[in-house]
Amino acid sequence: MPVLELPDIARVLPHRHPILLVDRVRHLDPDRRIVAEKAISGAEPCYAGIDEHAGPDDHAYPATLLIESFGQAGALLWLHSARLRGLDLPGLPLFGAARDVRFTGSAYPGDVVEHTVELAGTKGDTAFLTGETRVRGTVIVTFGSMLAVARGRPAAPERNLNHRAAAVRRLPRR
Amino acid sequence: MTQITATLDELREIAADVLEVEPEEVSDDGLFAEEHDTDSLRAIELLARVEKRYKVDIPQQELPNMVSLRALHDVVAKYAVRG
Repeated sequence: MPVLELPDIARVLPHRHPILLVDRVRHLDPDRRIVAEKAISGAEPCYAGIDEHAGPDDHAYPATLLIESFGQAGALLWLHSARLRGLDLPGLPLFGAARDVRFTGSAYPGDVVEHTVELAGTKGDTAFLTGETRVRGTVIVTFGSMLAVARGRPAAPERNLNHRAAAVRRLPRR
Repeated sequence: MTQITATLDELREIAADVLEVEPEEVSDDGLFAEEHDTDSLRAIELLARVEKRYKVDIPQQELPNMVSLRALHDVVAKYAVRG
C-alpha cells in the first residue's frame, strides 16, 4: 500500500503538471527516509517532437529531470516531516546544489524510477539529502549530496501551518 | 566538555573540499567570497560539514562571520568550548 498518492503529494509539493515529477510514495520514515516512484511515459513533454527515427538512446529520460524528480522526493520528505509536527518551511523548497552525483544507467519510457532519499540533516532553511535512484532494482543514479533550500517567502521560521491549511481548504476544487 | 581540536589545517581541508579547490589555495585570512566566489549555499555547506566533523552546533546567524578560514576557526572555537 502506497503511503501517499498523487493528490496527497500535490497537497505537500507546490509543483504541478507537467513538472510534478513524483507519482507515488511507497515508504516514508519522517525526518529520515522516503521511497518514492515516478513512472516515465513516452507521452511526457520531454519527448514531444522527437525525431521519428530517434533510437533507444534518444529516449533516455533526461538526467536533469531525474535530478529534479529526486529533489522533489527529498522535498516531500522534508515538507511532510515538518508538517507532521505542525510546522511549515519558511519558503518554497528549491533545488540548491548537488555534489558527487553519478549516473550509471538510464530510464526509458515504460520504466518506473524509484528514488530512495535520506535526509542527512537540516540547518535552518537548508536540507542535506543523499540517496539513489533505481530502475527495477538497478541503481542508475547515486546522489552523494544534494542541498535543498526553502526560499521565496519572508523568513518566518517555523510558521504554524494551521492558518495555511485553513486557507487551502477554502480554495475551490478544480 | 568538548575539546576543541579544530586546527586551521583541518579546516583548510574541509573548506577546500567544499570550495572544490586545492588546500594550498585556501589562505588563512583570504575572504572566501572574494578569493573563491563563495555563495550562501557553499557557506551553509561548509557550516554543516564543520558541525558534523566537530560535533558542534553553530547557529546559522554565525554565517556572516565565517568570512575566512581564521574567522571560521574562531567561530568553531567559540561553540566547541561551550559543548
